[in-house]
Amino acid sequence: MANIAAKRIKREFKEVMKSEEVAGGAIKLELVNDSWTELKGQIAGPPDTPYEGGTFLLEIKVPETYPFNPPKIRFMTKIWHPNVSSVTGAICLDILKDQWAAALTLRTVLLSIQALLSAAEPNDPQDAVVAKQYRESPQLFNLTAKHWTNVYAGGPSSIFDFNQKVQLLIDMGIDEHQARVALSTYDWELERATEQLFS
Amino acid sequence: MGFDIKRFQGDVDEELICPICSGVLEDPLQAPACEHAFCRACITEWISRQPTCPVDRQAVTSSQLRPVPRILRNLLSRLCTSCDNAPHGCNAVLKLDSLASHLVECEYNPKRLMPCEAGCGLVIPKDELAEHNCVRELRALIATQQGKLTDYQQELTEQRLIINEHKRELALLKEFMRAMRVSNPTMRALADQMEREEVVRWANSLSRARVTRWGGMISTPDDVLQMMIKRSLSESGCPPHIIDDLMENCHERRWPPGLSSLETRQNNRRLYEKYVCKRVPGKQAVLVLQCDNTHVDEHMMVEPGLVMIFAHGIE
Repeated sequence: MANIAAKRIKREFKEVMKSEEVAGGAIKLELVNDSWTELKGQIAGPPDTPYEGGTFLLEIKVPETYPFNPPKIRFMTKIWHPNVSSVTGAICLDILKDQWAAALTLRTVLLSIQALLSAAEPNDPQDAVVAKQYRESPQLFNLTAKHWTNVYAGGPSSIFDFNQKVQLLIDMGIDEHQARVALSTYDWELERATEQLFS
Repeated sequence: MGFDIKRFQGDVDEELICPICSGVLEDPLQAPACEHAFCRACITEWISRQPTCPVDRQAVTSSQLRPVPRILRNLLSRLCTSCDNAPHGCNAVLKLDSLASHLVECEYNPKRLMPCEAGCGLVIPKDELAEHNCVRELRALIATQQGKLTDYQQELTEQRLIINEHKRELALLKEFMRAMRVSNPTMRALADQMEREEVVRWANSLSRARVTRWGGMISTPDDVLQMMIKRSLSESGCPPHIIDDLMENCHERRWPPGLSSLETRQNNRRLYEKYVCKRVPGKQAVLVLQCDNTHVDEHMMVEPGLVMIFAHGIE
């Protein structure tokens, strides 16, 4: 790994560790290997959002050309958000693409991702299905996001109705996550979800 | 790329850190409007990918980058750092601005150039000294030199060929001009100038001569003597268009009024010293060319010059 990248990451790692966000539990960072090429990030779901109380893990891969190119970051924790793929965890955020600037750091990037959870950008979606729901039935979106946060990110709000519907499909022999995706996609209408799953 | 911050004594101010490499600024440049500073190498690399300031994304091109203010340079130069060769044992602590000069002399520099003491005369990096073998190195040196020599010889041959070709072409051109000048006044002027320049070039190639005994002058040389002088002139590169005129002017019957008889010659003896004389190679004879003697009175000079043959006394 190019010397400059490793040097930067070491310094940024220390910067994150000393930051008040780490002290406040908003973000966390840990090393995956000794070569400083891969890290694991963690952000807390921001207050007053459906993600509140959840903890989201991020995979961070540092390219050799860092900081001239941005780090590659994706959600490892499944999340229901217009700008994050519900399938791969890929994030649609300008500073991770063409708006990357060499002075940005892991700390600022993690905080930007956290801010993205508070302020979605449905007009530039990563997941079209989620974005459509976000625009057309915001209340249902909120509940779905809360449900996913509860199931995958350890969030506090369990939604009884949703859990029941998922259980129904599980009982029919459907994989739990597959069932949840289908239900979420069809606005929790059991019939349409079932139809899609068995078609 | 900047200096590793761990090399510095005490805390380094955040303002002196490059936002790209996170090292201490090395040879810094700043963006024009926002004045953010970066190492030259870092910002050049960044701008080659994206023409913006890496901190605030304002548009910047590499030609707009400016040196940082003196105060920043001074702050940087005062920082105390360890030597690059600290891992090799150098304990020096230096101001950043004297680091470069220290590195040149640092004894611990594994790449410091040392003369071989075994006598081969080569200068080698210190860390290669142990492995150094005079015979092997010198043989390698000879091999490369010989390679170069062969290359140069080949080049020389090629250049000679080219020169000969050019000479042939020039001769043809001259021939062509000679034919043209008969009918065309511009060509005549051009050709005349070329001929004059040719004479000057030839005159400059001859060495100066000094006549110690003007009395030894032969004013009526015979044909045999004239032939010898003519051959010598021709061998020295005398332009063919003046050689016959010059040879005509080796006899007093063609000399200017001031030289044409024994009497006038004796009257004008003191003017001889003004002549700029050129040696006719290998002969007791001098050329007094008009182009060398524009300062001499008209009655002492003829076109294109005089040939004076002596019995002795030419140096």
